[in-house]
Amino acid sequence: MKKMITLLLAGMMVFSMAACGGGQKQETSAPATEAAGSEAADTEAAGGEASDQGKVFNIYAWNEEFKGFFEKYYTVPEGVTVNWIINPSDGGVYQQKLDEALLNQENAPADEKIDMFLAEADYIGKYVDSPYTMDVSSFGFTNADTEYEYTIKAASDQSGVCKGVSFQCCPAAVIYRKSIAKDVLGTDVPEEVQAQIDTWEKFDAVAAQAKEKGYYMTASFAETFRAFSNNCTTPWVDADGNLQFDDQITAWMDQTDNYIQNGYTLTAGVWDQEKTDQMYAKGKTMCFFGPAWYYNFCMTNAQDPEEGCPGDWCIVKGPQAYFWGGTWLLAATGSDNTEMLKDIFETFTSNEEVCSNLVEQDNQFPNNTAVVEKYANDPEYGNTAILDGQNDIAIFAELAKDIKWENHTNYDQLLNEGLQNKLQEYYNGSVDKETALKNFYNYVKETYANINVPE
Amino acid sequence: MNKSEKGRLKLMILRVIVYIILIFLCVLCLFFFYLMVINASRSNAQLSSGFTLIPKGHFIDNLVNAWTDASINIPRGMLNSLIIALVSAVLTTYFSALTAYGIHVYDFKGKTAVFTFIMAVMMIPAQVSALGFVQMMNKMHLNNNFLPLIVPSIAAPVVFFYMKQYMESVLPLEIIDAARVDGSGEFYTFNKIVLPIMKPAIAVQMIFSFVSSWNNYFIPALLLDKAEMKTVPIMIAQLRSADYSKFDMGKVYMFILLAILPVMIVYIILSKSIIRGVTAGSVKG
Amino acid sequence: MDGQNQKKTGKQKAVNYAKWGYIFIIPFFVVYIIFTLVPQFLTIYNSFFETYRDGLTQIGPNFVGLDNYRAVFTPDSSGTIRILKYFANTLIMWVAGAVPQFVIAMLLAIFFTSYRLNIKGQGFFKTVIYMPNLIMAAAFSMLFFTLFNRAGPIQAILVQNGMIDQSFDFFAYKITVRGMIALMNFLMWFGNTTIVLMAGIMGIDQSLFESATIDGANSTQVFFKVTLPLLMPIFVYCLITAMIGGIQMFDVPQVLTNGKGVPDELSRTLIMYLNGYLINKNFGMAGAISVIILIITGILGGIVYRMLSAQYKAPKQKRKY
Repeated sequence: MKKMITLLLAGMMVFSMAACGGGQKQETSAPATEAAGSEAADTEAAGGEASDQGKVFNIYAWNEEFKGFFEKYYTVPEGVTVNWIINPSDGGVYQQKLDEALLNQENAPADEKIDMFLAEADYIGKYVDSPYTMDVSSFGFTNADTEYEYTIKAASDQSGVCKGVSFQCCPAAVIYRKSIAKDVLGTDVPEEVQAQIDTWEKFDAVAAQAKEKGYYMTASFAETFRAFSNNCTTPWVDADGNLQFDDQITAWMDQTDNYIQNGYTLTAGVWDQEKTDQMYAKGKTMCFFGPAWYYNFCMTNAQDPEEGCPGDWCIVKGPQAYFWGGTWLLAATGSDNTEMLKDIFETFTSNEEVCSNLVEQDNQFPNNTAVVEKYANDPEYGNTAILDGQNDIAIFAELAKDIKWENHTNYDQLLNEGLQNKLQEYYNGSVDKETALKNFYNYVKETYANINVPE
Repeated sequence: MNKSEKGRLKLMILRVIVYIILIFLCVLCLFFFYLMVINASRSNAQLSSGFTLIPKGHFIDNLVNAWTDASINIPRGMLNSLIIALVSAVLTTYFSALTAYGIHVYDFKGKTAVFTFIMAVMMIPAQVSALGFVQMMNKMHLNNNFLPLIVPSIAAPVVFFYMKQYMESVLPLEIIDAARVDGSGEFYTFNKIVLPIMKPAIAVQMIFSFVSSWNNYFIPALLLDKAEMKTVPIMIAQLRSADYSKFDMGKVYMFILLAILPVMIVYIILSKSIIRGVTAGSVKG
Repeated sequence: MDGQNQKKTGKQKAVNYAKWGYIFIIPFFVVYIIFTLVPQFLTIYNSFFETYRDGLTQIGPNFVGLDNYRAVFTPDSSGTIRILKYFANTLIMWVAGAVPQFVIAMLLAIFFTSYRLNIKGQGFFKTVIYMPNLIMAAAFSMLFFTLFNRAGPIQAILVQNGMIDQSFDFFAYKITVRGMIALMNFLMWFGNTTIVLMAGIMGIDQSLFESATIDGANSTQVFFKVTLPLLMPIFVYCLITAMIGGIQMFDVPQVLTNGKGVPDELSRTLIMYLNGYLINKNFGMAGAISVIILIITGILGGIVYRMLSAQYKAPKQKRKY
């Protein structure tokens, strides 16, 4: 018994010493990582041989979306285990957990290092411009010229070094209920509907008409947010770290004020159940705003076998071209599975069969212009899962040509999310606008200590 | 006689009122859980089409969907929570009893100071040292490890206090003397003689610490992020975040049901001793 | 550790047994020091530094003295000192739950212990009212969210009965959000308090009641003159324990409002405020807030300690070791 206690105590001493020792080491090594990061990536890649490849492939993601495609289309090499580490994106949880893991990457055992992680348009810059992602050319991957230009630009650091690929391209459009459009506009033909909503003024006028007929124009106050925010001409934060509101954001707020006051929309958030309930057949909402991933990700209620309304939908460009989201796959510095990385990147960008299946079976819009062109020009092709057989790829293909990658900051996700959350309280009548904005500034200060907010 | 009849009538009315209050409170306690069970038996589409008090036939579907959900691995979460809660419960009761015994039975220099210290820190919430704790665990690479959630339970002032109170009421020091005369070592005495006497207190505290560990959210949420390490409360809180809209609501109710079920089963079996246990530590007879 | 050894040393009992006292309390203290005390000092240490993350870059730690504390107490643009607002929120929601909790618990304790009333089915009632105490707060709160949100069944029931308008939103008013939180806290704790108070009443010497009755006191007088004063220590103990639980209020409002503390951060508690900085890795500010909460609990803890130490001293004299 005595021995046991002694052992226990000794164990704890070692434990506590390790704690202190470990602590100091970590602190000093943190800045060093920054400098050594990219070099390490190069040397490692140069010395990489087939036998060096790891047995565990760790992927960080914020939801199941890509996991589904990965498991469907990518054959994992024999003997390799794939681990998915999934944390919700909401409230920045995903970023926080990912940051922590990346900062520990250097000290982590080979099998626990992140090999690949996913990133969204709203914060990809943070990772791309860091030494924690590695040059794709270091493991022999070259971007295909069928990839959309903006997807490469988004995944490249300031000196143009590319760190990953996107498996999708995300031009977004207006998805409308045909039966409601028919009732409101007297037509459900895409070209005619588009002609009536091709500017925000016209869109607002139609909203008033829909209201008269007892419909909502949109189901969430934030539904049109991306259509505006994506056309901003200034970033959220200026060079001196000051928060700034772009004219497009202000325009969105003005429009939303109008929509809420007149009852053209609901006070539900963009992800709320109240909004998705509007996609059932009994829903009263005419327009939804989204890219191709929106079908499967947000519109499952529309596809419900009992209460849904598949086939009652069409897609048009709407008032303003924009894109929304996108999932980039980034190569993490320190990965010992570089061959697999290269393979995965190729599978989802240049493998025509996979990209075609993404369109036909999964209603996705792939990051491959050749495949996109094939479907856009195919008179036989039509989306029947949700739409009425309309060729949505043709519409998206047109929109995709104009996507530009500009005015992004590393803070976009939480600023967009925070603004919507705080304004929602204003729109549902809890607070006045001034208070909502004050709460937003407090939120920004709390989330990002380095951003200056208006006093 | 008239007076006593009046009194009886008064008592009757009082009794009726009391029963009504009691029944109302019971209904209030059970109502939300009843809704949960009903809704766990309805499909997503049924849930969106108004409310009914009658269960529907989707209970098994929802159970299967929740149990096999890819992003929220509830069976794994329940296993993780079970491991953490069981080991913590054992450690916390054993070591708290040990510490209480050390202070109850022996006289040593600084004993009063030690006791005062434990009493003083008893009320300090874990949250106020969470920052340093998480920082330290990250540096030791013990995040995504169960150890930081289990080992600290060895030092549980509240359980210690309960054990101490219990010893004062049930543990005669003569027994220990007698054991010493018989040549029993101190650890032997504690393990073989004192622990069996402490059984009721240990059982009760095991249940309470199991429950509080099973329900613990704050610290685990700051430490665990690997899917296979997450505990039930983290998974439940995750339901509240963005991808929620994608969820089948019937499944969400089922997740909540599964999260509270194990504790409920334990409670239904042991409710008598649990209720008795509530009072044993906080009140000195 | 064998008996022989023990017998030999038995002669210098006082000295040698004292050693065992130390040995028995060592595990507790080692663990406490490593997992609580050191982290506590680290937390306090952090509060004097500017240390946060900008993306993947660690800023600081730079010593800033009391700047973080100053920042905590600096009013925002509308003149609100936010930590005071969150403290008030915490207090209001705690009181809103605790007042009914104690009133009902006291009533039930009296009902259950009254021989005159002779309540049947006590076992069942106690089992039911104590049950919510064991429910996972996060799950209970998630349940309330699913039930009370605009797409949930409570809304549907109330709209069907014409009691509210479809556009009503439980999460848009401070009274409803705080009410839900108070209701959950009440439901989770009143059963527990009832059972503790009951034991307290049963622990009172019956002869006191008898003599009071003989002296002609009616039941109200007995309650206020005999029961309540004698129950006071336990009542206060319950109250302060509940208060300390109240300061730690987190799981319920966090999950219910998804960490936002809607509306207008009026359901945001102190610990939610702390959690906000913790998850954003602003350790300087988180440290300062931790220290402030520590001081608040320290004050409350001090009161509890005084009460408990009074209890402790009494049996000590009886002991002969």
